[in-house]
Amino acid sequence: MTAELMREAFTIQGRNFDKAGEVSSELKVILRDLGIDAATVRRLVIVAFEGEMNVVMYAEHGNLTLILTEEDIRLEIKDEGPGIADIELAMKEGYSTASDEMREMGFGFGMGLPNMRRNSDEFRIESEVGKGTSVFARIKLDSHA
Amino acid sequence: MPELKHGFRIDREKCAGRMNCMRTCPTHAIRVKKGKASLIPELCIDCGSCLGVCPSGAISATTITFAELDRFKFKVAVASPALFTQFGLHDTPAQVARALLDLGFDAVWEYAVDIDLIDRAITDCVKKWPGPFPLISSSCPVVVRLVQVSYPAMVDHLIPIDAPREIAGRELKRRYSRELGLKPEEIGAIYLTPCQAKTISILQPAEEAESYLDGAVGISQIYNEVLFRLRKTSTKDDTHRLSWISGDLFPWGAPEGEFPHLSREHFLPLTGLSDIIKVFNDIEKGKLKNIEFLECHACQGGCVGGNLTVENLYVARAKNLRLIAGRPKPSPEFEKEVSRRFANEDFSLRGSLKPRPIEGLVLDLRERVIRKKRADELLKALPLLNCGLCGAPSCRNHAEDAGAGRADLGDCIFLSRDRIDDLRKVYKGRI
Repeated sequence: MTAELMREAFTIQGRNFDKAGEVSSELKVILRDLGIDAATVRRLVIVAFEGEMNVVMYAEHGNLTLILTEEDIRLEIKDEGPGIADIELAMKEGYSTASDEMREMGFGFGMGLPNMRRNSDEFRIESEVGKGTSVFARIKLDSHA
Repeated sequence: MPELKHGFRIDREKCAGRMNCMRTCPTHAIRVKKGKASLIPELCIDCGSCLGVCPSGAISATTITFAELDRFKFKVAVASPALFTQFGLHDTPAQVARALLDLGFDAVWEYAVDIDLIDRAITDCVKKWPGPFPLISSSCPVVVRLVQVSYPAMVDHLIPIDAPREIAGRELKRRYSRELGLKPEEIGAIYLTPCQAKTISILQPAEEAESYLDGAVGISQIYNEVLFRLRKTSTKDDTHRLSWISGDLFPWGAPEGEFPHLSREHFLPLTGLSDIIKVFNDIEKGKLKNIEFLECHACQGGCVGGNLTVENLYVARAKNLRLIAGRPKPSPEFEKEVSRRFANEDFSLRGSLKPRPIEGLVLDLRERVIRKKRADELLKALPLLNCGLCGAPSCRNHAEDAGAGRADLGDCIFLSRDRIDDLRKVYKGRI
């Protein structure tokens, strides 16, 4: 395992659609200012944004941790939400447990998790019903520039 | 990558160090050290916000002067449609064109044709575009630089179609060199511009190709001269000098409706840098995918609100509405010319638009992280008041400058009391 260059933690406030997306915007600025190439930042922002939205939609509270090494960027998103009973089903495109209200707001089309996996080089979910969900994503850095 | 050129200069002699430019700059590209403003070139996107706020008149656009035009044997004006919105309600585009001839231009180009051609080229491109959406217009040089510098992941959203002013420059050189037997370099293609940003797209096109235009003259530079000639009743009959094919000068102006052939449902015009920044943030998160074409102009109200225009935006728009309402249907000659050229010309951008990363990538990632951590650490010592007296627009900028070794953290008046005495000396006599 390569050494960590940087680790930063962020709090995500659940049920607050007004502030949703602020953490991923912050990540974008940090990584862009560090000179990470545009395509990598873009993939990471998609993963972070979808992860952030899942916390906002389903949990009261969550944390996002950004870990940068010389080889990759890792994201850990942990929440104290309802948990996912069937992870395999949840990973299917179009599968969603979102309420009508969420759909009316334009969220919950069942593309979040599949989208996160598609934009990651490694992707893993751990969940316990009633306790919460943890998502781990890894995106490789193409070049060290 | 070559250093970015800019469409304006700061006159150090005139600069009184008032910091208005530093405080207004949306990309935090200006520092004021020892009472003088300077630019961090790679951060500047040439929006021109600093030009209008300088109380000392120290920032000026690098447009060209009339004397410089004398090196051309034949001078052709390509007038931004915004020019025609600057004069009285009853002054027609044809009268303004006549005044430009009186002023010394040898011809005034029928720019409406080029604009119509680009409208068609864009419509075609949008129809065939495989994604990503939305496509973003590339005719405003500020928008292009903003994407390259601050939204590098979005460069492939910029539509790869050339600006109408470039297409005009190419065609007018072709036509007049053929008709008059002149070499293309003996013909001056001069854009009459509503903003300084168009001059950078001539000096240094973002796609790294060579511009077909030879320079730009600001509308405010010629305003008085044109107005004077408009008011003076000309006895000369020089209509023959206009020698137009279609006679169409005025096509569009306000942002709405510049692309009559695009679907109303999938076309969104957007003006003003702060709104554009908000929308770009949302596009990065995947919003607005249903929009096919996003037309962006950095100036509030579009080009009629450019920083080298004279008339107040809303007065100019009122004139614009009148020009649009009074515009006749396109003449058969106009349609014929557009069809002829559309069949014969290529309108695609001649190079590719690449990201322009901010931090010089000479450093490796480890060093960049160290700098960032150092800046985060240094920031803790600063008051977060963003007073600007250190010479940076915000405490964060000052911490970053210090972290990168560009500035001394002690320039903060909260950290060293001598600093206020230094400032007093620098500004002595100016207060």
